[in-house]
Amino acid sequence: MRDEATWVLRGTGLSKYYGPGCVYCAALTGPDRGTSQCPLCNTVTACANVNFSVDRGETLGIVGESGSGKSTLIQLIHLSVPASAGSLEFRDPESPETTPINLLHLSRAANRAFRNQRLGIVYQRPELGLNLQFTVGANVAEKLLLANWRHVGHIRERATQLMVETELPPERIDDDPLTFSGGMLQRVQIAKALSSNPVVLLLDEVTSGLDLSVQASVLDLIKQLQWELGMTMLAVSHDLGVIKHLARRTMVMKNGHVVESGLTDQILEDPQHPYTQLLVSSAL
Amino acid sequence: MIRMMEPAPEMDTTDTTDSMDSPEEPGDTLAQLLAPSDAPASLYNFGYIDEDSKREIRRRLLKAVAIPGHQVPFASRDLPIARGWGTGGLQITMAIIMPEDTLKVIDQGDDDSVNAVNLRRLITKTTGVATTFDTEAASIVQTRHRIPEEPMRPDQILVLQVPMSDPLRWVEPAIEKATEMHGEADYGTMWVYMYESVVRSGDLKIATQYPVMVEDRYLMDTTPIPRHDVTKLHQAEMLSLFGAGREKRVYAVPPYTRVVPLEFEDFRFKTEHRPGQACERCGAEWTFLTRSWVTGTGATTSGHWLYQCSDSNYCNQRYARGYRPQDGIPDTAAFDAPAKMEDGEGDAG
Repeated sequence: MRDEATWVLRGTGLSKYYGPGCVYCAALTGPDRGTSQCPLCNTVTACANVNFSVDRGETLGIVGESGSGKSTLIQLIHLSVPASAGSLEFRDPESPETTPINLLHLSRAANRAFRNQRLGIVYQRPELGLNLQFTVGANVAEKLLLANWRHVGHIRERATQLMVETELPPERIDDDPLTFSGGMLQRVQIAKALSSNPVVLLLDEVTSGLDLSVQASVLDLIKQLQWELGMTMLAVSHDLGVIKHLARRTMVMKNGHVVESGLTDQILEDPQHPYTQLLVSSAL
Repeated sequence: MIRMMEPAPEMDTTDTTDSMDSPEEPGDTLAQLLAPSDAPASLYNFGYIDEDSKREIRRRLLKAVAIPGHQVPFASRDLPIARGWGTGGLQITMAIIMPEDTLKVIDQGDDDSVNAVNLRRLITKTTGVATTFDTEAASIVQTRHRIPEEPMRPDQILVLQVPMSDPLRWVEPAIEKATEMHGEADYGTMWVYMYESVVRSGDLKIATQYPVMVEDRYLMDTTPIPRHDVTKLHQAEMLSLFGAGREKRVYAVPPYTRVVPLEFEDFRFKTEHRPGQACERCGAEWTFLTRSWVTGTGATTSGHWLYQCSDSNYCNQRYARGYRPQDGIPDTAAFDAPAKMEDGEGDAG
């Protein structure tokens, strides 16, 4: 039984619709219907009534096929896409007695400040998370500059430290990102995400497109950093191996709905929903 | 409609071929096109622009003054000069100028450069206002690339021609996104750009269009004025109006406004001024100097760099009052330092 008092991030009824919506959307979409798009009004239900909570230092895995809504859910949590319904509450792990704040009610400025200082995100494609026109050091330093760091020497010191922590060669701090390999760019993204000491780190298919040996090293790095820094993480992947490596608990999504959730080992060994059974058998 | 249906009495509708090909027709030859027009100024509205357009520009300027540093869109009008040649500043001047005004137009610090001469000619042709080279005597100073060396007074207006109004254009090419960033004072990316400037060149080497924060709220482009002039905007006594005709934006720095250039704690904003470097004509050490290469005439001389004040009027006035490089540097920044003049040094040259 999980302790309800220790959660850091909690989503309740989190939903995202693209389109006007109609009274039949709920009945005509979902995993049972095999579609996310309403045939009457063409509204796409990207996320429907998602409930979750993540504890401090815990990793929640989100797994599903392409178009299942897992990346939309990450974007909702990252506050980069406005939610259509529901609530997303955050409780500061340093002061758990304080009243949780609903992140969906933040002003635009507060939203941006929270995203920059309390959240970190690593995208599948480095061009989404990095500005390829700037040097690697500038990309890592971006969040520090957003947090009003105004001493170049201190900024470079911190950026160098982060590059060492993420196993990047610090002497290449002033190189262009385009001269880096795919695995190194993922590490740059991780260094950038960690620069503000985020409470919650979001991982959106971080190892897709990398070869197996690089995948393993990136995953090991993430696990090690989480253990050292005590971050809360949400990891999205369509690869059950990645989820098994990172996450203690997992949600399985299909057509915008959560079809099954629980302990990762339990889901992999004894899947209940037919889609999860298909997913597990396909992976094996 | 009725006028269009009536045939023009002087129009010969039977045969126009000869008259169109005739070299005697006005406007057919290049020489005739280039000849100064003798059309009377009364043919034009005062200030060339129609009154409704001037009213719209004045309203935008009022909003710009009310929100210092904020770019206000305006409907930039067509003018008889090309966009990018100072149409923004020209429209502001035309909208605010009055018959009793005295106008000064400078370009790169010069009163007699091509751009300044042509703009001045257009304004005087359509307004008949008095013009001057003397900054102190002017009520409106329209300028490109420089702010006059003499401190301007509260009763004077500085109009700056702006090629690119948004400092975020370097880091965010999408205007819609940049507008949002201004609205939320989201200038983190600009700071990354500044960091890059330090990393790539070893210092804050942004030569012109140096970004400044106005009243700690809006990031503002200072137009292509040198860093030497950026500091003149801070707590300035005059009203500064900025117009970008091509980008259809106006913005303003009202008198006594806080204008602070972006800088780091360990890399401070610096002007181009180099101690010991003085104008070789009037000896001024504190002015913005232009540099030109003077080819040597002798067999052993290869030439040298000649440094002179960029503000030609300021330099001329100092020169006329007798200031020379060998006279040394006066104690005050004003060229008419009374102690010097009373000593009779002003008559030296």
